[in-house]
Amino acid sequence: MPSVCLYFQVHQPFRLKPYDCFQIGYDSSYEDEPRNREILERVSRKCYLPANQAMLKLINQHKGKFKIAYSLSGTVIEQLEKYQPKVLKSFKALAETGCVEFLSETYYHSLSFLYSKKEFMRQVDKHKAKIFEHFKKVPEVFRNTELIYNNEIANFVSAMGYKAILCEGLDPVLGYRSPNFLYHPLANANIQCLLKNYKLSDDIAFRFSDKGWSEWPLTAAKFGHWMHQTAGNGEIVNIFMDYETFGEHQWPETGIFEFLRQFPAEILKHPDFNFQTPSEIIQRYKSRGEYDVPNLSSWADLERDLSAWLGNSLQHDAMERIYSLEEEVKKTGDEDLLDHWAKLLTSDHFYYMSTKYWNDGDVHKYFSHYDSPYDAYINYMNVVTDMEHRLEGVMLSR
Amino acid sequence: MLGWEFPPLFAGGLGIATYGMVKAMRSKASIRLIVPKVASSTDLGDVSIKGLNKITAEEINLERITYNLSNIGAEVLEIPLALSPYHYTNLQISESGLDHFELIKKGQGTIHDVQNIFSDNDVYGRNILQKINLYAVLASELAADGDFDVIHAHDWVTYPGGVKIKKQSGKPLILHVHSLETDRSGAECRNKIYQLEKSAFEYADRIIAVSQYTKDQIHQHYKIAREKISVVHNGIDPASVSHTEHKLKDKLVVFLGRLTHQKGPQFLIETAEKVTRIYPRVKFVVAGTGDQFAHTLEQSAYKKLGRKFIFTGFLSKTKVNRLLSMADVYFMPSVSEPFGLSVLEAAQYHVPCVISRQSGAAEVVKSTLQADFWDTDKYANYIHALLRYRGLKTELTEKTEKELTSLTWTHTAEKILQIYNEVRKN
Repeated sequence: MPSVCLYFQVHQPFRLKPYDCFQIGYDSSYEDEPRNREILERVSRKCYLPANQAMLKLINQHKGKFKIAYSLSGTVIEQLEKYQPKVLKSFKALAETGCVEFLSETYYHSLSFLYSKKEFMRQVDKHKAKIFEHFKKVPEVFRNTELIYNNEIANFVSAMGYKAILCEGLDPVLGYRSPNFLYHPLANANIQCLLKNYKLSDDIAFRFSDKGWSEWPLTAAKFGHWMHQTAGNGEIVNIFMDYETFGEHQWPETGIFEFLRQFPAEILKHPDFNFQTPSEIIQRYKSRGEYDVPNLSSWADLERDLSAWLGNSLQHDAMERIYSLEEEVKKTGDEDLLDHWAKLLTSDHFYYMSTKYWNDGDVHKYFSHYDSPYDAYINYMNVVTDMEHRLEGVMLSR
Repeated sequence: MLGWEFPPLFAGGLGIATYGMVKAMRSKASIRLIVPKVASSTDLGDVSIKGLNKITAEEINLERITYNLSNIGAEVLEIPLALSPYHYTNLQISESGLDHFELIKKGQGTIHDVQNIFSDNDVYGRNILQKINLYAVLASELAADGDFDVIHAHDWVTYPGGVKIKKQSGKPLILHVHSLETDRSGAECRNKIYQLEKSAFEYADRIIAVSQYTKDQIHQHYKIAREKISVVHNGIDPASVSHTEHKLKDKLVVFLGRLTHQKGPQFLIETAEKVTRIYPRVKFVVAGTGDQFAHTLEQSAYKKLGRKFIFTGFLSKTKVNRLLSMADVYFMPSVSEPFGLSVLEAAQYHVPCVISRQSGAAEVVKSTLQADFWDTDKYANYIHALLRYRGLKTELTEKTEKELTSLTWTHTAEKILQIYNEVRKN
C-alpha cells in the first residue's frame, strides 16, 4: 500500500539593507525592513494564504486522508509574527486538523552543522521551541537546510534523538535502487532516511509551467497516473519542494492551484494509495537498506552539492569570517548581538554571492536582489565588519 | 590600412591596438600599413609598413602633392593652433614643421621637408591639421596604384586619408573608431573634429567600433545607423606576469592614463578622499600626465591628501608593468572610455579592477567592479572592499583570467577579416 509523503519548505531570510563602507561603525541595524515586509506581503498574498486555504479545504474534503508536512524556518516565523500574523494563524488552523506535521530544522536556515556543532544544536533547540510555541507540537523528524546531508549529519541528528531525516535521492548513491523506499544511513539503524523523488518533485516545482517540456501541460490526472506507476516498485513516494512553488515560483495563471486542488483526489483514486506524514511513514515501513553518503549533498541545482553556498572564494571567506566571531559574540551575553550575528548565518546571504551561473541570469539571479554576487559579498562583509567593531566596543567597555 | 601611432614609437592605446591587430591579421591578409612615423627597428615580416618620415622621392610626385596641399591649405589656418587631439601636453611642440609646409605649398619643398614634418617627436602637436592633410595627400598618392581591396582607417586623424583614397579608387572604406571627439571633448561637443568625424562616418561603407558603448555613442551623437556599425572588441597578447612585493606599508591603488577631463581625475580625487577617510593605509599612484595634471595635483594638496598620492608623471611601458605587478587595485573612473585596454593589462597582472561603467572594457571584463563614472561613493565602497576583504580579490582575478583567454587579437582579427569579406561583396 504505497504512501505519498508531501513536504513543503517555508522560508524567508532577513535580507540585509544596502550597507556601504561609510556606515561601518555608525549603523548597527542591518535589516532591510521595507524589503522584507514587502516580499513577505507579496509571498503571503500569492502563496502562503491561498495555498494554506487550499490545503485546509483539501484536508476537510478528504476527511483526514490528505496529509502534509511543513518545515518553517525560524526566520520566516519571526517575520510572519511581525508582518503577517494572519498567515501564522492559517498555519495554526492547519496544525489543528491533526493531518499536518511540522519538521525540525535550524532556526536560522543555516549551514551551521559544517562550521559549529554547538551553534547547530543551539539553533535546532531554538527552532523546536519556536514550533512548540505556535503549534504545540514537538517535531520528531529533521530536515537540514537545503536538504544538506551526509552520513555524519545523519548520525549526529540520530544522536540528538531524531528517528528520521529528509534528504535528496541521489542517483549515484542509489545506483539501481529506487528512492521510493525507506533507507538508513551507513551502519546506523536508529534513524531512517526519507529520500526525495526528485524526478516527480521537480515535475511540479520546476517543469510545471515549462512549455518546452514534452509533458506540458501537466494535469493532476497525468501526475496521479505517474505516481500510481510506482506501485509494485516502491512503498513510499517523497514529494518535497519549496512551498513558494504554489503561486510564487509557478504563478496562479499556470494553473498550479487547480492542479493542487485536484491532485489528492487523483492519487486516492487508486485504492492502494494513501497520504502519510514523515513520522507516520517510519512507523509503517521498514528500512530496505543502507544509504551511504560520505560526501555532502543537497537538493540544489544539477550538481546536488554545496556549490551554491560554498562554491567560490567570496562564499568561503564570508562564511569563515562570520563563524570566527561565534565565541566572542557568545561571550558577550548580548542577546541583540547574538541575534544579529545568527541572522547573518542564514544560507541565503551566501547564495546571493554565488557566481556559478552569474552570467546566464538564471535561477540564482531570480532569487537575488543584488546587482551582482560581488555586491552581495561586499554588502555582507561591510555588515560583518561593523559587527566586529561592535564586538571590540563591548570587549573594551568591560 | 591607415594608422597614426605605431610602436615602439608611440605606444598609446591606438598604437597598441593597431599593432595587435596587424600582427594577428598578417597571415590571413596582405596588409599595407601607412603611418606618419616608424622607427628603424619596426619590422613585421610580411606586412609592408610605410612611415612617411622615411618616404622617398621615387614613391611620390612632389608636384602633385604641392598642388593638392595648396588646394586645401586655406582651411588649415582656421583651426586653433594649440590643438592636441589626445591631449598630450608633455611633448615638445615643433614649430619648425610649419616652415616645411610653407615650402612644400610654395613648390619649393623637397622630399626632406616631407620627411621632416613626420620626424617630429610628437605625431600630434600644434601642426596636427597640416599633418593630417599632408598625410591624406601622401597616403592617397601611395595608394594610387589601386592594388588593394579594402581601405581600413584608424581614428579621425586618418579619416581624411581614407576618404580621399575611396574617392580616388572607389574601394570600400572602413573606419575604425578607437575614440570619438565626443569622448575626448564631452558629449555635447560639435567642433571641427566632430564635423570631420561625422562626414567621414557618413561617407564610409562600414564603421568598426571598439565596443558596444562606442557604437551607441556613434549612433546617438553622430546619427549613424546602427546597421552600419560593427562592434569588434580589442584583445590582449598573452603574457607571463609576475607579482612584485613593494616596500610600502600602505596598499596601492593605481590610476593609469592621461590626466585629462575624459579620464575623470576629479572623480579620482573625490574617491581617494572618501577611501582614505575610512581606510588610511592606502596610497593612490597616478601614472600619467595631461592638461589636468597641475589641477589634479593642486586638488590633492588642497584636500590635504598630499601624502596619500604619488604622482609619477609619464611612465614607460616597462615601468607601467612594474607598477601593475605591485598594485592592489586598478582604478579607472573615466567619464567616457571607448575601450580601456589598460583594464585588460591590469587584469593580466591579476590586479582587481574598479572601473567606470561608461567604458568598453566593462562589457568584456565582467569580473570587475563597475559604477557610473560620477558615483564616487560606490567607487569608494568597492575600493575599500578590495583593500579589506581578501575573498574578493581572489574571486575577481580568477574570473578575469578566464575572461582574458577569449580576448585575443586573433579573435579580433577574425572578426575584422569577416567584415572585409562583407564589404567586398557589397
